[in-house]
Amino acid sequence: MKAWKIVVAVWMTLVIAGGILIQIPEIPILEQTARNIFFHVPMWMAMFAMFSVSFIYSIRNLNSPDLIFDIKAESAAKVGMVFGICGLLTGSLWARFTWGTWWTFAEPKMNLAALAMMIYVAYFVLRSAFDDEEKRAKVSAVYNIFAVTTIPFLLYVVPRQLTSLHPGADGNPAFSEITAAELRFILYPAMIGFIAVAFWIYDIVHRYKTVQSRIENL
Amino acid sequence: MQEDSVAVVDTLTQAYAEKWSGAELEQTNAFISLMYSNDLIFVVLGVTLIIWAVLLFFMFRVDSKVSSLEDKINSVEQE
Repeated sequence: MKAWKIVVAVWMTLVIAGGILIQIPEIPILEQTARNIFFHVPMWMAMFAMFSVSFIYSIRNLNSPDLIFDIKAESAAKVGMVFGICGLLTGSLWARFTWGTWWTFAEPKMNLAALAMMIYVAYFVLRSAFDDEEKRAKVSAVYNIFAVTTIPFLLYVVPRQLTSLHPGADGNPAFSEITAAELRFILYPAMIGFIAVAFWIYDIVHRYKTVQSRIENL
Repeated sequence: MQEDSVAVVDTLTQAYAEKWSGAELEQTNAFISLMYSNDLIFVVLGVTLIIWAVLLFFMFRVDSKVSSLEDKINSVEQE
């Protein structure tokens, strides 16, 4: 067992405990749900990290075709999806008790995040359409490069131009000087921690897939 | 007693009311009174940490299983 995984385990335990126990400013409507920022936002950061890993391995795969790059790109995209789904579900629950609805089609960030998930669903559907491993690796790498370029636009550029209840709209950043400074002491470690957890899960997934393909090709 | 009044009589509460009301704060130990403090936030902490601990246990386990599979296939391929 690698030492960094134990560090991540301890780190995240402290982040969770800190996120629940620190004193947070009292804000009407938000109340205690302001603590959700420590858990909901890092889901997306972990998703971005995983999609970036997937993007890098897709490029490497096109550069010098190797099945191991394809396995890594697929694994990272999968783990990214899992975190994205967590982000959508936690956001929906949070929205119910602060905005008053589980889902609204008037909310650009929500819908465009769901659209981003759909684009990655298409990646896995595309993968399943090929029997030939090398062909699958090449075509899905090309698609993946397209898919990742949509992410910053769907989740940052476009929502900031539109009116939205979600923080980070109307040309403003989500996290600014009006946000209580003490939230950063947990938020940033939480982002690091969740990204590390994502890498850990990715590590397990791609190793398992590698072993699986080696067994199949024995 | 009338037939339809049976539903009104809460026999469960009657039978156990003494035991429930017996759980006074001052009669409990330090751990229980700590958990009751601060609007029960420590209960939330406990729930989250239990989930995290179980997930961690699972991740470490799967991780070590994959490691042993890797060792196995390495030794098979070397033969």
